[in-house]
Amino acid sequence: MGAAGIKLHPACRVRQEGFGLLFYDSRGPGLLFAETKRLLPVDFFDTVRGLEEFPEGVAEKQKPALKKLYVTLLERGFLREQSIC
Amino acid sequence: MSNRFVDEGMSAPVNLTWEVTLACNLRCRHCLSSSAEPVPDELTTAEALEVVEQMARENIFQVNIGGGEPFMRPDFLEIIDACHAKGIMTCISTNGTLFDQELVDFLSKTRLVAIQVSLDGAKKETCEAIRGKGTYDPAIKALKLLANSPIPTSINTVLTTSNAAEVPDLQVLADEIGVTLRISRFRPSGRGAQTYEELKPTPEQLVEFSNWLGRNDNIRTGDSFFSLTPQERQGLGLNLCGACKLTCCIGPTGKVFPCAFLQDENFEAGDIRQNTFKEIWDDSEIFNSFRNLRIYSCEGCERYDQCHGGCPAVAYYLKGDIEGGDPECIERCVTSLADLGTQSQAV
Repeated sequence: MGAAGIKLHPACRVRQEGFGLLFYDSRGPGLLFAETKRLLPVDFFDTVRGLEEFPEGVAEKQKPALKKLYVTLLERGFLREQSIC
Repeated sequence: MSNRFVDEGMSAPVNLTWEVTLACNLRCRHCLSSSAEPVPDELTTAEALEVVEQMARENIFQVNIGGGEPFMRPDFLEIIDACHAKGIMTCISTNGTLFDQELVDFLSKTRLVAIQVSLDGAKKETCEAIRGKGTYDPAIKALKLLANSPIPTSINTVLTTSNAAEVPDLQVLADEIGVTLRISRFRPSGRGAQTYEELKPTPEQLVEFSNWLGRNDNIRTGDSFFSLTPQERQGLGLNLCGACKLTCCIGPTGKVFPCAFLQDENFEAGDIRQNTFKEIWDDSEIFNSFRNLRIYSCEGCERYDQCHGGCPAVAYYLKGDIEGGDPECIERCVTSLADLGTQSQAV
């Protein structure tokens, strides 16, 4: 078993809004409003990412908040853990 | 649910209601859209598939499909197939009469479908008094077929004065079959406008139902009951009318409205045959006026943050004023019961 990464759950979708990203979970259905502005590209979680992986250009001071968002998305089922290799 | 982000304005609805046909093999007395025969100029298959293309382009996540009985439309499976191919979740409201194993197998091919089967009473006689003779058993059969499939399925019950006492039994029935229970609000639109006074729940029933909801957080209500949502359920769903902010409605001929209950020419926001959905969503004066709607008369109420004035459609049909505040919100129910108590004491 390789190291775990995170990826958008197949039951979930995401789109860009003015405030940031809007996550939708068809299983609830449920919504999550993430106030990320343009910090996180809408397709960022289409591929497996590490919990410490951030888009290019993200400042160091912004990383803790983004990591907290990743954890929230994971806990609420919008993301799921997936083997990286 | 954060209202701040919704108030900023969304690029598109999160979900929309699409009444794909007015054709229906039943004549339910409370039908919100007076369904019976199809409208002559309903969207063609090509036009319906173009609607799906536009929904996908705007990243609309979910379409709640009703009517009419959607399965009466000959091309309905083609339409939902197109939705699923684009990743759009379909939540289909049906009377269940046209279900068989073959249809359930077809629908089970995707994880992007959920089904609501209408049932308006736990007892056959209660249900059929509203939906017509011979409607109960086929609905139960459909529910059982669906319960044995991977399709998320619910009983959908419109709360009326005749079935209010059976709500706990409906939950038992849903549990026995292996589906969930969803309760929807009865609104005075379509045929429901003619039967409203006869079938609407009483204030006592609404208060009792509100209390029951507070003890049963597994019951789904969609955005039906924010006008009487008890504190215990805050956070389970919307606490405001989502019309024109998170949702809207496309009618059988492609006309676009704020919600399924406001398919009235006074609220026609546009026509998908004349404009793109995006143009209507962004530019419609009706939609923009709804987005700025504030029910000032309710702002002094201590429950204002919980319902924001309730359902504008009910206010429109009962008071002729969408800004008038929901006349059947829980606060008004409690007040009317208290008034009755005072009057009877005085007598």
